[in-house]
Amino acid sequence: MSEPVGAGDGLGAQVKTYLFGLFVLVLLFCLYVLQSSAHSRKLRSQLLETREDLISTTVSKSYVENILRSMAETLMVIDPDGTIQRVNQAATNMLGYERVELVGRPVGDVLADGVGVLSLLKRSGLNDVLRSIDTSVVTKDGRHVAVSLSGSVMRDDDGGIQGMVCVAQDITERKRAQEMLEQRTHELARSNDELEQFAWVASHDLQEPLRMVASYTQLLSRRYKGKLDSDADEFIEFAVDGAARMRRLINDLLEFSRVGTHGKDFETTDCEAIYERTLVDLGGLVEDSGALVTHDRLPTVMGDGTQLGQLFQNLIVNAIKFRRDDEQLTIHVGVERQDGNWVIGVRDNGIGIDPQYAERIFIVFQRLHGKGHRAGTGIGLAICKKIVERHGGRIWVESLPGEGSTFYFTLPVNEENSSHE
Amino acid sequence: MNNESRGSLVEILLVEDNPGDIRLTEEAMKEGKMRNNLSVARDGVEAMAFLRREGEYADAPRPDVILLDLNLPKKDGRSVLAEIKADPTLRRIPVVILTSSKAEEDILNSYDLHANCYVTKPGDLEQFIEVVKSVEDFWVQIVKLPQE
Repeated sequence: MSEPVGAGDGLGAQVKTYLFGLFVLVLLFCLYVLQSSAHSRKLRSQLLETREDLISTTVSKSYVENILRSMAETLMVIDPDGTIQRVNQAATNMLGYERVELVGRPVGDVLADGVGVLSLLKRSGLNDVLRSIDTSVVTKDGRHVAVSLSGSVMRDDDGGIQGMVCVAQDITERKRAQEMLEQRTHELARSNDELEQFAWVASHDLQEPLRMVASYTQLLSRRYKGKLDSDADEFIEFAVDGAARMRRLINDLLEFSRVGTHGKDFETTDCEAIYERTLVDLGGLVEDSGALVTHDRLPTVMGDGTQLGQLFQNLIVNAIKFRRDDEQLTIHVGVERQDGNWVIGVRDNGIGIDPQYAERIFIVFQRLHGKGHRAGTGIGLAICKKIVERHGGRIWVESLPGEGSTFYFTLPVNEENSSHE
Repeated sequence: MNNESRGSLVEILLVEDNPGDIRLTEEAMKEGKMRNNLSVARDGVEAMAFLRREGEYADAPRPDVILLDLNLPKKDGRSVLAEIKADPTLRRIPVVILTSSKAEEDILNSYDLHANCYVTKPGDLEQFIEVVKSVEDFWVQIVKLPQE
């Protein structure tokens, strides 16, 4: 029984060994499968990552391309040596070159004044940013297109210049509008000059025939008054009166147009001195009116002394003319500085002006009062307005009837000489 | 007192082309009760012929004072003034520029050409009479001039 047992033992051991080997194989296989699946997963994920990178790169590239293409402005990327590296669609459209013709070309070829990036940078003050320089580009067929050029420098991590991105905007329309505006302004100024010249020549040339009319009607009156009939006397008086009035109007018109046509160049002018002299010139008139005239220390400005004197004179004469009969006239010339301007006010306690006429009184030959001691041609304040405006200021009146008026005018502060106590 | 010493009327030469002004000057003198002998030249050429006693002016009197307008036909007042002041026999005659021009350049230019004075014609008759009277009084009665 030992043999079968023995044999039985031997067979069992073989089977055990076999099974063990099988088990090891299965284990190895499993290990292999497990391992290889992990590897492939890793591979796959690597692959996926690469693919995503690829996709995102492609997407961002077309994204940027799209932005560049949709830009209305011409864009050029330029090497540090001034070679065009990259352009957008607008650039090829504006310049009339194909993309391949532009890339590799010196940027100086398409910039009108042939400047390179470095000089552009110099213009930017080496701030790495070039802001809206008005220049022009040259197209393939040689046309010049006005552009506003901006740019910024691209630097690497070490601060070295990699190149520059330039953006040019077509400003032809803006330029044209600007030129048209300039031309219009110029034409307006010229027509204004012509008008002034016309007013001057007309009033000047009218003086001659008027002198004849006025002198001879006066001669008629002098020699024949009371010798003809009463009708003749009356007619002659009307003629004399009309001629005299016309002479005043023409003289005033001459004076008015003279402000623009015969003004002197501006120079440093001490208003204090001008004002004092004006008062001396007006001596008798001021005295007769019994006015009490006071003033603040007046500033030194850039101006035409003769005209500024005339301005003070007209305003003071105006105050005297429109004084109240029942009260002593007081006139005060005050000064205040408001930002870049001197505001000078000539204040009186006269009859005042209804605010509804505040604008009208500055218009030539507009008058509020009829004949009498307040008669005039209505040119004084118009001349004041013209003088003030020629000096870059404005004039207005603040007043209420019966409460006096203050005529204000501004004169720009002369920064070089703005001392004022 | 030139005229008194000569015992004759004051001789005035008016150089003026506008008939209205000529008559006005005459009338102003009448109104101002001025006694003088007024001769008239209507352009610059006539004025020089009168002063140099040429042709029909051989017997022309030598004026005591000349009233000269600036804007004249043929030869204008500026040239007449320049010629008078360049002529040794005429340059001592006082020349009064009597014009309607108030232009600063005309005034300067006239004095540069040695005008004796410059007067703007007033638009008012009274003033005009006054001006004519003053000119005559001053240049003929008041100012001491050399005897020619």
